[in-house]
Amino acid sequence: MPADPSANAAFMWTAYAAVAVILGGYGLALWRRARRLGR
Amino acid sequence: MTPEAERARVVVRRGLALVAIGLLALGAVFVVALRFTPIERFQGLPQKIFYVHVPAAWCALLAFTVVGIASILYLWLRDARLDLFAESAASAGLVFSTVMLTTGPLWGKPIWGTWWTWDARLTFTLFLFFLFLGYRALRGALHDPGERARYSAVVGILGMVLVPFVHLTVYLFPTVHPQPIVLKPSSPSLPWEMLRTLLLSLTAYTVLLIGFVTTRYGLGRGAEARGELDAG
Amino acid sequence: MGDLVRAVFAIAGKDLRVEVRSRTALVSALAFAALVLVIFNFARDAGSVSREALAPSVLWITFTFSGMIALNRSFALERENAALDGLLLAPVSRSALFLGKYLANLAFVFTVEAVTLPLFVLFFGADLSGVVSGIVLTAVLATAGFVAVGTLFSAIAVRTRFAELMLPLLVLPFLIPPVIGAVQVTARLLAGRPMSEILGWLKILALYDLVFVTVCLLLFPALMDE
Repeated sequence: MPADPSANAAFMWTAYAAVAVILGGYGLALWRRARRLGR
Repeated sequence: MTPEAERARVVVRRGLALVAIGLLALGAVFVVALRFTPIERFQGLPQKIFYVHVPAAWCALLAFTVVGIASILYLWLRDARLDLFAESAASAGLVFSTVMLTTGPLWGKPIWGTWWTWDARLTFTLFLFFLFLGYRALRGALHDPGERARYSAVVGILGMVLVPFVHLTVYLFPTVHPQPIVLKPSSPSLPWEMLRTLLLSLTAYTVLLIGFVTTRYGLGRGAEARGELDAG
Repeated sequence: MGDLVRAVFAIAGKDLRVEVRSRTALVSALAFAALVLVIFNFARDAGSVSREALAPSVLWITFTFSGMIALNRSFALERENAALDGLLLAPVSRSALFLGKYLANLAFVFTVEAVTLPLFVLFFGADLSGVVSGIVLTAVLATAGFVAVGTLFSAIAVRTRFAELMLPLLVLPFLIPPVIGAVQVTARLLAGRPMSEILGWLKILALYDLVFVTVCLLLFPALMDE
């Protein structure tokens, strides 16, 4: 049973942020590579 | 611009469009999961990580299956495009594996009190990550395109054959940790709001997977059309 | 068929003769195994961790690492002397080459295991009465599996620059089923558990062997294409 509710929210937010960064970051990297190569 | 390069450009554009749609869908999933889905009674807020962790697993497994099938087809037909397709899928797979490996411990720590445990789910996550990593490392270490294609195809096929064995052994391995809600055929069905959010997330992730693979494939074809030695 | 068998034994024999003459890999593997066994005893906190609890894991760590040493050496010989081309030119099928290498590697690893097991009994005071055949069967099954995959990957890794790093990286995921299975069976055998608990794991080990020896045999020719 989670003991500290505010700390637990932090885990949730961190996880969601990580997902956004990883998936968004990869998408961004692909887009930039496409731009560089003239699409 | 040669017709080949033009075709590659179209593929890249389509792929990027899918990526954009996928990312927007992902944003919508975030909102739905965080705001419009009930909080699970026993695990509290961290349970919501479930909605971004499970679809990543699904996509990683799907990606590796694609790598395996493309590898078999490559060894049979020896078409370099199949090799490029396998590589694109593996690249996406590694990304989703990373998502799994990041969200897994973040889910585990508040629930089980520890960042890592050798239970079935996390061990399987780590295993998939190493499969993708090994595939990628091998490609980086081989420079002749034909050799690289053949050797990675062999590794890809072996990896695909291995997945059911690891799944079997790791889930049979005795674990003392209470299982959080995991989508298994025997477990009680999820309440509708949670199931709906999960399905939404699965859709967004799958669109992203297709977008990632398509874009990378298109970029690879474009590089070939320009006569560049692609970096594998 | 007779040709195939002859070729397989010729290749295996060649590898083993080279090994017997130089003996370096065998000695390193055995020394390593002894070292691991000794260190584990010193590194263990005798009060809190029983030898029995550690025993199966230690045994299998030793077996797998010694196996790695064997596999590293497997195609390294050919690479150093650019002898692989010669082998490929010989009227020997690719399958024979793989099977020959596989047999040689198996012989090597089995030898290491055969010497390590008595050492293990000695250092860990393991009581093997009644379960020796079970342990041997498990060792044979698990080893046959990971050596098959390792032989194939050794052929792959040898073409890369950091072969000693690439081989373990590639092989690691493939060790999971045989090692988990072997440790589970060994632990149960040592604890005197009934056969019914063990049979399932043994079947998994056997299935793994069947599937992977076949698949590796089928895929090996693709590595040797020009």
